[in-house]
Amino acid sequence: MSAPAGRSLQINRLWPLGWLICRRLLSGALVLLASATVTFFALRLTPGDPVRAVLGGPTANPTPETVARAIAEFGLDRPLPVQYLLHIGRLLRGDLGTSFSQHQQVSAVIAEQIGPTLWLTGSAVAVAWLLSTLSVLATARRGWALSAVGSAAETMAAALPQFWLGLVLLAVFAFGLRWFPPQSDGGFLGMVLPTLALAVPLAGFLAQVTRESFELALDQPFILSARMRGLGEGAVRWRHGLRHAALPGISLSAWAIGSLIGNAVLVEVIFSRPGLGRVLYQAVSVQDMPLTIGVTLVVTLVYVVASLAVDLLYILVDPRLKAKRT
Amino acid sequence: MSSFIERRATTAAALIALLAAGLAGTGVARAEDVPAKGGTLIYATDREPTCLDPHVDGDMPQVFVAQQYTDSLVSQDKDGRIGPWLAKDWTISDDGKVYTFHLRDDVTFTNGEKFNAAAVKANLDHIINPATQSSTAGGYIQQYLKTETPDEHTAVVYLKKPYAAFLEVLAQGFLGIEAPSALARGRDENCQSPVGSGPFKVVKWDRKSEIVFERNPDYKWAPPTAKHQGPAYLDRLVWKIIPEPSVRFASLAGGNVDVIESIPPEAEEGAAKDGNLTLLIKDRPGNPTNSALNTRRAPFDDIRVREAFVRSADIQGALDSVFFGRYQRAPGPLSAVTPFASPDFQAHYDYDPDRANKLLDEAGWSERNANGYRIKDGKTLTVEVLIGDFQGPAERSLWEQIQATAAETGFEVKLQNLGFSEWLDRMGKWQYDAVGEYWNTNTADVLRIVFSSEFLGAAGSGGYHQNATGFSNPAFDEVVNKALETTEEGKRRALYLDAQKIIASNYLQVLTFPQSTRLGIYKTAQGVRLEPSLSVPVLYDAWVRK
Repeated sequence: MSAPAGRSLQINRLWPLGWLICRRLLSGALVLLASATVTFFALRLTPGDPVRAVLGGPTANPTPETVARAIAEFGLDRPLPVQYLLHIGRLLRGDLGTSFSQHQQVSAVIAEQIGPTLWLTGSAVAVAWLLSTLSVLATARRGWALSAVGSAAETMAAALPQFWLGLVLLAVFAFGLRWFPPQSDGGFLGMVLPTLALAVPLAGFLAQVTRESFELALDQPFILSARMRGLGEGAVRWRHGLRHAALPGISLSAWAIGSLIGNAVLVEVIFSRPGLGRVLYQAVSVQDMPLTIGVTLVVTLVYVVASLAVDLLYILVDPRLKAKRT
Repeated sequence: MSSFIERRATTAAALIALLAAGLAGTGVARAEDVPAKGGTLIYATDREPTCLDPHVDGDMPQVFVAQQYTDSLVSQDKDGRIGPWLAKDWTISDDGKVYTFHLRDDVTFTNGEKFNAAAVKANLDHIINPATQSSTAGGYIQQYLKTETPDEHTAVVYLKKPYAAFLEVLAQGFLGIEAPSALARGRDENCQSPVGSGPFKVVKWDRKSEIVFERNPDYKWAPPTAKHQGPAYLDRLVWKIIPEPSVRFASLAGGNVDVIESIPPEAEEGAAKDGNLTLLIKDRPGNPTNSALNTRRAPFDDIRVREAFVRSADIQGALDSVFFGRYQRAPGPLSAVTPFASPDFQAHYDYDPDRANKLLDEAGWSERNANGYRIKDGKTLTVEVLIGDFQGPAERSLWEQIQATAAETGFEVKLQNLGFSEWLDRMGKWQYDAVGEYWNTNTADVLRIVFSSEFLGAAGSGGYHQNATGFSNPAFDEVVNKALETTEEGKRRALYLDAQKIIASNYLQVLTFPQSTRLGIYKTAQGVRLEPSLSVPVLYDAWVRK
């Protein structure tokens, strides 16, 4: 008697969650289509000549037959709307096409290059959270001076442009002190500087937001009651204050992941790292349509998935939201 | 947008590299050394090839890689003379159209396949096949008709017309010989894992990161230009891709890599003084870096205005300021290391503002507007210069300097910054007054490609033209074509002298500096040399001591 009732209660609870995911997936698909369309027309309407760009650079001497063959192979002899429909059709079948500048399947290029970019982005988000949490826990409401120092450091960090920070870190710690290799080639030491270049400004930003809600949380009655139960300051801050204060930071993280992938382009260029950013930069400059759209779609997809994940994380961290939705 | 950011980042990083180079201490002098076997040499390049097969497309990074894993049919020495390599010797028919190559019989590719006449045929057929999309190698053998293989080690190559530069272009790594069965796998697979008979073999290519080579233990057919025979000294060669100049240089200065290519100009002076580093710098043969003046539209349809523009550009002054006194201006239409290059025509390109002013007055551009630019019939004397983003910050600064000196004689120089494909588009449609270009090749026949009417763009080829000046001159066409009909050195020299004279006296290009290969070498690496056909690094004779 009680069991079926319990299950139906569970289903009732899960249903809105499923509906949320479905809605998000559907709108995500629309975002992907829009991004492929915008990229296609933006690139195609830019004046340019992708064929010669691919056929060996400015000192190339292709015969008319070679050029004609390349134009036909890349489908550039078809009318623009036909090219668009063909391309979207291929995308819908899951075929990203062949990169004509890399002589490789687009999916193969992405498979090779996405690892370093995700690894960099992921470690930057993790380090940013670590730094911002430490800063907030250590300095917020710890007396006027300490609090002011923490707050000022966060503001400064948030204001740093990531590519500038990358150059400074490179000049000081790689070129000058030689503590780290100048080229970030995949080893742990090589990851440190690019990760910091991305993470420090983000950490400043996250900490500013978290600090504000953290201080609000510390004023709440439940903190007072926790203290009255005899909990130590560290436990109060960590278990009660931070959990309450993390929400705005978490929702910012979805935005942060999107912007980190964008900034990863710069950091990959500065540190000569492999990754999607460098691929995208090169693909755009030779108007390699399939590769440009492929990489754009992947970046969009990461963004869509990240914001979905954050919505779900929100529910985990704040049980009140679960209740509200049922 | 992203290109703008990269450019700024590059400039800032270059400044920082300059500071870092100043801070770096000097090391100890190097002892004389004997070659050591074994070890890994790490080479860092600025540009990653898009395909490791040099036949496909055909940009410089490909030939740098190809030189390590392929051999060529013939070799070229530092005086430009052709010697044997995979071909022991050859004969040329009297009409210059049939080349009979007698091949070595002891050569195998690194996949075990025998090198023979059929392999020569397969390679030349592959280069000329439109599906290969070979624009450099294919462009150089447009005269190719067919190859016959009367026996295992004799290849008879037929050309459509006499082509005395044929042996020269065969010596370039762009026409390196690859294993026929590897070529047969299809273009994109062969791009990733090509197979040659050279001193190294390609074992891995992690894109955007590195290409790894291993020694070919069976190698015993080095060309006469090599410093030793038998297998290479190095066990492994790691070809790292480090596009950012300051990072590449710092990697060298810190000993993280052994050799770098394209040492940044701002770091050269410091590197020359650094006891841990040596520089290996050599011009490349061909038509030097220049801006081609478009003779097909005003104002450069008037030879007086062309000469005035050439005379109003203070090239050496601009080079000194941009490249810190490390670059010399080009000696003429052919760089000094090109066979048959003459130094006699450099004076045509001398900075002479007085003569420039006089010429412009004569040509009717005698009035000036409020900005000091010359005007004629209400029109300003404007020069649109296309600057592609691939040309790099140094070349852009160079043009800013030229812009300043040309303004003094009354030219309004407009620098138009464009992405690569837009640059190509404008070029294809002849929408420019001056456009930057260069052409690396080991033969004076480059003059025919860059200036003859044959290369003004064929119908149906989308407006492509290698002759960016629009110059069309029957007397010149005759001279450069005649030079292809004779293999006699004295006659070729005389004809190419005529050709250079015609080009210089028509003021078709603002010449800046010869293209060059500029290596920085850390004290751990020895025996690195540059081959003569395109000044490409050869690591066959190199060794490391770490």
